[in-house]
Amino acid sequence: MPASPGPSTPPLPDPRRHQLQNGVSLVQIELPEAPVVCLDLWCRAGSACEREAESGLAHFLEHMVFKGSERLDAGEFDLKVEALGGNSNAATGFDDVHYHVLIPPQAAPEALDLLLDLVLQPRLDGGDFAMERQVVLEELAQSEDQPEEVAFQELLRQACGSHAYGLPILGRREALEAHTPEAMAAFHRRHYRADRCCLSVAGPLAGLELEARLNQSPLAALKPSEPQAALPELQLKPGRDRIELARLEAARLLMAWQLPGAADQDSVMGGDLLTTLLAEGRRSRLVEQLRERLRLVESIDLDLNVLESGCLVLLEAVCDPEQLPAVEQQVRQVLLELIEQAPKPAEMERAKRLVGNGYRFSLEVAGSVAAMVGNSQLWGRSHNLQRPLEWLEGWSSERLSREVIPLLHPDQAFCLQAVPA
Amino acid sequence: MRERAVQQRVLPGGCPLWLIDRPGAGILSAKLWMRGGSSSDPSGQRGAAQLLAGVLSRGCGELSGDALADLVEGCGAGLRSEAAEDGTLISLKCASSDAEALLPLLLVMVRRPWLVDDQIDLERQLNLQTLQRQKEDPFQLAHDQLRVLLYGDGPYGHDALGVEAELKAIGKPELEQLARSYGRSGAVLVLAGELPAEAERWLLSGLGDEAWPCSAPERQAGPTGLQQPQLACSNDDTEQLVLMLGASTTPLGAPHALALRLLHCHLGVGMSSRLFVALREEHGLAYDVGVHYPARLGDAPFVFHLSTSSDRAAEATRELLSEWQRLLDQAISAADLELALAKFRGQEALGRQTSSQIADRHALVLGHGLPFDFADQSLRDAAELSPEQLLTAARELLTQPSLSLCGPSAALKQAEAVWNAHSLSGAARG
Repeated sequence: MPASPGPSTPPLPDPRRHQLQNGVSLVQIELPEAPVVCLDLWCRAGSACEREAESGLAHFLEHMVFKGSERLDAGEFDLKVEALGGNSNAATGFDDVHYHVLIPPQAAPEALDLLLDLVLQPRLDGGDFAMERQVVLEELAQSEDQPEEVAFQELLRQACGSHAYGLPILGRREALEAHTPEAMAAFHRRHYRADRCCLSVAGPLAGLELEARLNQSPLAALKPSEPQAALPELQLKPGRDRIELARLEAARLLMAWQLPGAADQDSVMGGDLLTTLLAEGRRSRLVEQLRERLRLVESIDLDLNVLESGCLVLLEAVCDPEQLPAVEQQVRQVLLELIEQAPKPAEMERAKRLVGNGYRFSLEVAGSVAAMVGNSQLWGRSHNLQRPLEWLEGWSSERLSREVIPLLHPDQAFCLQAVPA
Repeated sequence: MRERAVQQRVLPGGCPLWLIDRPGAGILSAKLWMRGGSSSDPSGQRGAAQLLAGVLSRGCGELSGDALADLVEGCGAGLRSEAAEDGTLISLKCASSDAEALLPLLLVMVRRPWLVDDQIDLERQLNLQTLQRQKEDPFQLAHDQLRVLLYGDGPYGHDALGVEAELKAIGKPELEQLARSYGRSGAVLVLAGELPAEAERWLLSGLGDEAWPCSAPERQAGPTGLQQPQLACSNDDTEQLVLMLGASTTPLGAPHALALRLLHCHLGVGMSSRLFVALREEHGLAYDVGVHYPARLGDAPFVFHLSTSSDRAAEATRELLSEWQRLLDQAISAADLELALAKFRGQEALGRQTSSQIADRHALVLGHGLPFDFADQSLRDAAELSPEQLLTAARELLTQPSLSLCGPSAALKQAEAVWNAHSLSGAARG
């Protein structure tokens, strides 16, 4: 079977790229059938950019942005965007942060003006700051009440050592309590700069003339950043630990491995293929062996987290506490067998179809298209939408065995057992 | 949305088939909605509908569970079968070019499931484990508790996964009987996306000459709720207190349902929504605050939810109750109604981006016995509603909410005291 869905599929639209005079990049994708336009502003200002005392500041700033700018009152942005029939949200990761708006096409120009004003000229009012800190602390408390999240945080803390990927994006409570609007403004000034920002737009764009509009916007006024040290490469530390957690009902086996960073997109595709082969669907090796045949687990998942300083593959198996040793033993065995013997052609084909379709299905939505091309552009990757499918085809069983599978050796992992207290 | 060609057919035996052509992406989505979900679980067999749904893909027709999974996953497709409160939904999403191999599965799963003991045992065990693990989540605990307050032992009173003691006892004979009832209370099949010309023939090709006796889902009364203010507390060693304040209301398509939908938009949709602004922006009481109001065939729940630090339990309870009281005391402003309408329209547009979303929405309304264009009609009708009509709906349906709490005992005590002193708990009436 061919790995692409067949000859009837039209070619994927090509991104149009443009650079403002100050170096800010703009990437646009025309999706004429989409009911909404997605405006997605990306910035290299994730939690990994924080200094020691700045713990949680990148995410806290993302909250504060919605508290208004010099021109917009707190809540005014949401009110205007939502009255136009749109909605907005934002997400802070380890590497970057992005702010996005989904909006009917005719309202897109106005929404763009509002978005740029809001994100690039936040007011950071002291009273709002104190109030929003409460909200962030509630968010932290909410996540601490989910024992599974606590277990994952502990896995990353131990596996990533001193690297930023081991620290919580939400921040440490004491640090959050000590932050000031001035420190946040300094963080904003340092990172929200011309060469660290990128705007991505996807949807029905005919007649929007975004380029002309952008030349008059705060985006065009951004200055370049001061030279900054590059993020250190992740050096995941193999090891193991066992913790007891209150309120846990089922035990967890969590494991973490490191793969090459996002800059190597071809290899990211290999990682995607491998995690799919191992743990997506009943006929994947881990699910078949541990859930279907031996019936040791309620579920077993393997996720690829694409990150700039090194991708993380995270495994989670949910099981009865008594089964933990057997589960770990079996995971180990499945991985060692795969290292011994290259995947069979049918397995490769199956994984390629799943990954290829998953990718194509995600292109149905303007929001995910904008996020995909926006993130790539932000980090200086300018492949078109077709390219990942070509990379996918380039992975043979032998190449996967040579280049990626050995990286998931069980001895390379950090392994955490979490059991009910 | 441009739904270029919409065709309605009827499959042999009576199941309505809707074809929504959206060429371009090479993707096909199919949704088969059969009335009879967890609310139809037979007495003493709570969890049966979900268990059966899960077993459908573990072997059918000429395919073993492994062969079926090989076929579906080998095409890179998604095939899921799940029971919700009012129906069982089988969903297929695939490349259109794989339709010939995959479309026949839908009806074969329904008509010729294997129901092998060994696979039933596995599926049951997984469901039991999931029920257990869900207790880790304080939101789930508060939600389960509220469900009992609103529906008691009624058809909506349990999680679709079931009740442990009853689920343990469900076996092959019970599932066989339940499987025979598929289609009897109505079913509908919706295909959306890039449609192959032979789609209808392929749908039927797994059944030979057999017709599936089935009818279009009709409008009928669904399960009802209890109407009395009650309090339930669950002691849990958490940092936060979870609060859920809700009432059982009215079915999708019922006279006041659209007014409630607009109140939902006003209160809980977007960052300009009333609850978000009042509780989060003005008081910093919560990160997550919102309204849950799902579409139901019977009396749907209408729920405010919030989680807050334990030491602010009293304040949060007071604010949440006063927001509910406000709905009963005064009409929302014309400007707020206009904003709610914009959100309602926006949500509709955003919910129609993919073929799956489109098929899903149509299958849902058709499954409720409502017309195909129900969503469009609702958009038009909503524009005619006045603030007074929203107030009338609230006073009709929201006067007796119940409160479900989950958190540490000190916080429970504070929240309980506030509830007991508030007129919504029945204090003033007592």
